[in-house]
Amino acid sequence: MAHIPDGFLSPSVLAGTAAASVAALAVAARRSRATLGEREAPLLGAATAFVFAAQMLNFPIGAGTSAHLLGGTLVAVTLGPGSGMLVMFAVVLVQALLFQDGGVAALGANTLNIAVLGPGVGWLIFRTGVHLLGPGHRRRLGVVGAAAFLSTASVGVAVALELALSDLVPFGPALLVVGSVHLIVGVAEAGLTMAIFALLGRSRPELLARATAPSPAARRWAWAAAAGSLAIAVATAYLASARPDALQAAAARLGIAGPDAAPLQGPFAGYTAPLGGPWVAAALGVVVVFGLIWGVASLAGARRRL
Amino acid sequence: MPLIAVEQLTFRYPGGAVVLEGVSLAVERGERVALLGATGAGKSTLLQHLNALLTPGAGHVVVDGLVVGPDTAREVRRRVGLVFQDPDDQLFLPTLLEDVAFGPLNDGAPPADAEARALRVLAELGLEGAHSRAAHHLSGGERRLAALATVLVSAPLVLALDEPSGDLDARGRRRLVTLLRARKETLIVATHDLEFARMLCDRAVVLADGRVGWDGRFQELLASPLLLERYGLA
Amino acid sequence: MSFHHLDHYAAIPSPLTRVPPAARLLGTVTIALGAASVPLAAWPQLAALGLLVLALAAAARVPIVTVMLQRAVWPLGFVVAASVAVLVFVPGRPVAHLGPFTVSDAGAVRFGSVLGRAAVALEAAVLLVSTTSFPQLLHAFRRLRLPRAVTVALGLAYRLLYILVDEIERLQRAARSRNAGAGAASRRRVLVGITAAVLGRALARGERTHQAMLARGFQGDLPPLHETSWDARATVSLAALALAVAGIVWWARAG
Repeated sequence: MAHIPDGFLSPSVLAGTAAASVAALAVAARRSRATLGEREAPLLGAATAFVFAAQMLNFPIGAGTSAHLLGGTLVAVTLGPGSGMLVMFAVVLVQALLFQDGGVAALGANTLNIAVLGPGVGWLIFRTGVHLLGPGHRRRLGVVGAAAFLSTASVGVAVALELALSDLVPFGPALLVVGSVHLIVGVAEAGLTMAIFALLGRSRPELLARATAPSPAARRWAWAAAAGSLAIAVATAYLASARPDALQAAAARLGIAGPDAAPLQGPFAGYTAPLGGPWVAAALGVVVVFGLIWGVASLAGARRRL
Repeated sequence: MPLIAVEQLTFRYPGGAVVLEGVSLAVERGERVALLGATGAGKSTLLQHLNALLTPGAGHVVVDGLVVGPDTAREVRRRVGLVFQDPDDQLFLPTLLEDVAFGPLNDGAPPADAEARALRVLAELGLEGAHSRAAHHLSGGERRLAALATVLVSAPLVLALDEPSGDLDARGRRRLVTLLRARKETLIVATHDLEFARMLCDRAVVLADGRVGWDGRFQELLASPLLLERYGLA
Repeated sequence: MSFHHLDHYAAIPSPLTRVPPAARLLGTVTIALGAASVPLAAWPQLAALGLLVLALAAAARVPIVTVMLQRAVWPLGFVVAASVAVLVFVPGRPVAHLGPFTVSDAGAVRFGSVLGRAAVALEAAVLLVSTTSFPQLLHAFRRLRLPRAVTVALGLAYRLLYILVDEIERLQRAARSRNAGAGAASRRRVLVGITAAVLGRALARGERTHQAMLARGFQGDLPPLHETSWDARATVSLAALALAVAGIVWWARAG
């Protein structure tokens, strides 16, 4: 479900998400090399093969349906976010070209959602959670589950956002349909990720050692992430409210007694961004907030070390 | 001076039992040595020391005048070609050509040169038609030859083979023996297959309890049921 | 979904395969982008793009019915399922009813446009994959400067996956023979065990592959074998395709 086929997204969304993916992957590639060193090639190869293999195994989740592990959070937590992103990108790439699972032109969007956002969010939540809640196997397990769930949910939000920004469906219904599917998938992903993580903890604990070694950089990432997510949420709300009429109509159609009072008019309503549409504004806003927090946190950390 | 000199080699895997304890042996250029012993005797471990994949805990290994260690690893690996037990471990690239050209490319050979050398070696082993195919399209025997090709292409001085006759039938074994007998490299073959070793090697070194238990002419070993019994080779 | 059919896409010698894989890949992306760029309800232009792809397929001697159409049916079905929401959730003048939902005119137009664009892009992807082997695709990725680590990982994963799939089948057979219970919960437990075992084996093999790579002089970077040549023919073909697609898109937007 997470993969968007060709035909849904508008050219500007395709271009924007592609640009964001290229930038993210460039950073991920550097970070991956730095983290794994000369073992990068065989490790990434093994992880990529594993994700492919794991996605072929279907787990029955009752009522005649089955789910499979997506793997983004698991790979990010065990190999690090950069490597996790590269692995998931390799998977998304081959799925799009060879299995027509996800579009070719939409590769940028699918990469951003499944290969960047998914592992990134999963890793951030995991590290933040471990930092906040401390060590302890059961606590780590719970954090992994939460990370996997939120990672999948965030992919759903991103998909809905991209569909809405492509002027295909209003954001509300898109979020409802796509989001609910991803919530269900997220539960399965959380369960599977926790189960495998637990087994790994018993059979190959050295793999998880990297997943919990604390570092001051992680603190900064955690702060930046929290602020960044907040910024994303705020931007989303404003963008959604930029089309209040569509939301109203959809809400009426769905039988939801919409707020008859004046719809929530954020300051971005009717905003025309200078280039590329509203998504550019949102992306820029997130990047700016992220960068500011990161910079402040770095300075704070540096001063503490002096 | 012997081509390979192992002196009092001691090695223990992290958190494991001592595998090699004071192994000493010397191999001259052109010799064909069979490395024998029960499973777990340390044959593979010893081979991996010759190729600088493992570093001795104590003692040392000298290959072609070089003391094997992390700094000499690159040079040692040019001289000793190690063929692993499982050919699938050595055939990891999408096509055979890429697998065989891997060694020369890593050595700094220009791509065209590496490709030409790879094709030549594949042709020598009768695999030239398969160069653009993936390893899983080959039979088990062909895969073993392909794995051998990946090492031969770098023209090493020494061929260290770990269970090369693994899943070969009698005909395949004979073909491999003929092939190896025709070559001039120094051979060290770790194997359970006495028949195969007998056809190929003149000298036998038996590992037992982490040491060299016996070192001498293969014929002598085969002629003594007592020795065969003692080292679990019968 | 079986992974083994990957290898059946042997390159059929044809005018299309004489163009380097990187050009073929860019061509596919061009067509998909073109389909994405036509406005809603641009039916003649979508048909034109579709015919363009089928013409290329004919030139590549790829069978139209058994490969081009058949291979696109399943993914297209998925597109239909995914775009039902578009059919009923877009506000507009109601034109039909689908159960408890109302189909609007805007929704119907969007639904049709999505299907049309998706079909064109799908056909382009099917054509690419039918005329390009996996190692050739990797060459294309390398040429197009995808992150090196990704290209290398895919090369290694390609081989490793075949081995893993064999091991998965063996593990599943073993689990079945042990009669590991019929309920969904116990099957889940078995599958989790298999997944963890597969991860363990993937990593163990990765480790051994690393050893084998070291033994052959690996120092961290996988040098490429040869750069597939990009010749004048590639530039001309790609430019011609891009012009054709751009022309169709311009025609759609001008109309």
